[in-house]
Amino acid sequence: MPENDNNPLEMRDAFGQTLVELGAAYPNMVMLDADLNTSSKAVYFKKAYPDRFIQVGIAEQNLFGISAGLALTGFIPFPSTFAVFAARRALDQIAISICYPNLNVKIPGSYVGVPTSRAGASHNCIEDIAVMRALPNMKVADAGDNADLRAIMHTAMKTEGPVYFRVTRYTLPVLFGPGHTFAWGKGELLREGADVTLFGTGLMTGKCMAAAEILAKDGIPAEVIHLASIKPIDRALIAQSVRKTGCAVTAENATIVGGFGAAVAEALGDVYPVPLRRIGVQDQWLNSGGVDALFELHKMQPPHIAAAARAAIQAKLSPEAMKGPGS
Amino acid sequence: MQPTQELSGYLEEMAYQIRRLSVEMITYGKWGHIGGSFSMAELLAVLYFHHMRIDPDAPKWEARDRLVLSKAHGSPALYAALALKGFYPIEAVYTYCELDGIEGHTDMTRTPGLESSGGPLGMGLSVAVGMALGLRFKENAVARVFCILGDGECNEGNVWEAAMSAAHYHLDNLIAIVDYNKVMAKGFVWDLMGIEPFAAKWRAFGWDVIEIDGHDIPAIVQALHEARWVRPAGRPIVIIAHTVKGRGVEMAEFNYKWHTQAPEPAVADRMLRELSRRYGRAEEGYSRLHEDDAKEAFYAGE
Repeated sequence: MPENDNNPLEMRDAFGQTLVELGAAYPNMVMLDADLNTSSKAVYFKKAYPDRFIQVGIAEQNLFGISAGLALTGFIPFPSTFAVFAARRALDQIAISICYPNLNVKIPGSYVGVPTSRAGASHNCIEDIAVMRALPNMKVADAGDNADLRAIMHTAMKTEGPVYFRVTRYTLPVLFGPGHTFAWGKGELLREGADVTLFGTGLMTGKCMAAAEILAKDGIPAEVIHLASIKPIDRALIAQSVRKTGCAVTAENATIVGGFGAAVAEALGDVYPVPLRRIGVQDQWLNSGGVDALFELHKMQPPHIAAAARAAIQAKLSPEAMKGPGS
Repeated sequence: MQPTQELSGYLEEMAYQIRRLSVEMITYGKWGHIGGSFSMAELLAVLYFHHMRIDPDAPKWEARDRLVLSKAHGSPALYAALALKGFYPIEAVYTYCELDGIEGHTDMTRTPGLESSGGPLGMGLSVAVGMALGLRFKENAVARVFCILGDGECNEGNVWEAAMSAAHYHLDNLIAIVDYNKVMAKGFVWDLMGIEPFAAKWRAFGWDVIEIDGHDIPAIVQALHEARWVRPAGRPIVIIAHTVKGRGVEMAEFNYKWHTQAPEPAVADRMLRELSRRYGRAEEGYSRLHEDDAKEAFYAGE
């Protein structure tokens, strides 16, 4: 990874650099853009391989339809746009033209969640995890840092069929070393602990690590598991961890409705139900604001995760507290 | 290029068989779109039995022509054409809309010869644009991409996004065909959402336009020949084929009630008898008239 730990890249730049790497390795990879390439950083690919870069204008439905046609003629298309336009505007095209026939299209959803911040609710994408994971054949991933993103993209190229992965406009703390790899349905145990499991995806895993530090100071050993692969999700690891800890918190840079926390809740419900608290946007629009102010407003900072962990532990210890507020 | 009488007669027979099989499968499958299948019977007959370079024994042949059925509810007519062409046995059409059978709308993973999957209107032309671009990247100058659209479908904004991009990329290996059958799901086009001046819209989007009677077999043969060999000059080509929704059976003609409707077996029998009379054949009814009685009583109406 061409990255300096002292001055890490924004994730979108790591995305752009990885595109160039992949473009060299896969001559049949093509990049499509709907007039956002200097924002999404698809521009790296455009500069390296101008002949394999297709501009479709501001027309996201067409962006994904054309990608289906290119996949059907043997190419590996990367249709690039903001996540909101993939998950909302062009959902039908992604579902029926791409996922239904299981076409080999890799979809980066740019500008996800809180860090998009000042653009406001129309552009701050919170629903993409919920929407994309509902589509049969689609695989979904949210990277914990730049090395994770690079690993996801390399694995995506080797995966036959549609893939959706999130790219955020933010600089993330380093979680993984340069030799890091990614496999579908495989979580990563980042920190061992006995009292509660913090399941993180995307940039929230870094915040889970910080929350574990806070809890450790209070003598609460928290386990942290990173689940970049949201679909398929590592049910075995989830079950194995909560059998030990007996309660859990999920954290995602997205709405908790139908998203990552919901995916973990489904897995728990199926295999080993335990008290669960979900951190993320709580069924609200993610309006304009500064990044930190928004993380605070939506209670997505490490102290909030730590508080949720305490609540989960309390619920585990007291059946009354299981009911939670409002019950 | 005028077809010989022999060729025209053969293509007319294929259009007849496409109509018959469409009624058979919609009746037996108890769901489907007769009107939009009938209106493009001649178009599919000429494409699949004369114009398109395809080989049912090599369905993935690189140099083949591709057809995207954007108005995917017309699937019965396409399934009939593919069966008659030899992509699968004729018998397979009786699995239409059944478990493990051929899908109501198009699913390319379940039916040999299909080049795309579809159902929601407005999407197919974008897929065809992607194919045409892909073939150009591969310097495949032989193959053509065809896309059949409905007239009502052209209400969809996605169609015009695709049209704009096809002209921008000078895709003269792309031939769109609009089955302009004048009727949508719930009434006439001009009552629900007017699309005229239609040819002018395509021209304004940078397309070369050919306008024909979509039931006139020699005219279709000529139009496709022109679109493939004469017109290509850096612009995509659209054939606006004026047709009659439900053409072939009087009760269905220009009648929106036969947009989505599976006929009861006795009605199908009458339809098929009328069809054979129109084509000057010995009267032939519905082949599974009695077998059908044993199936569940479900008739999808309009």
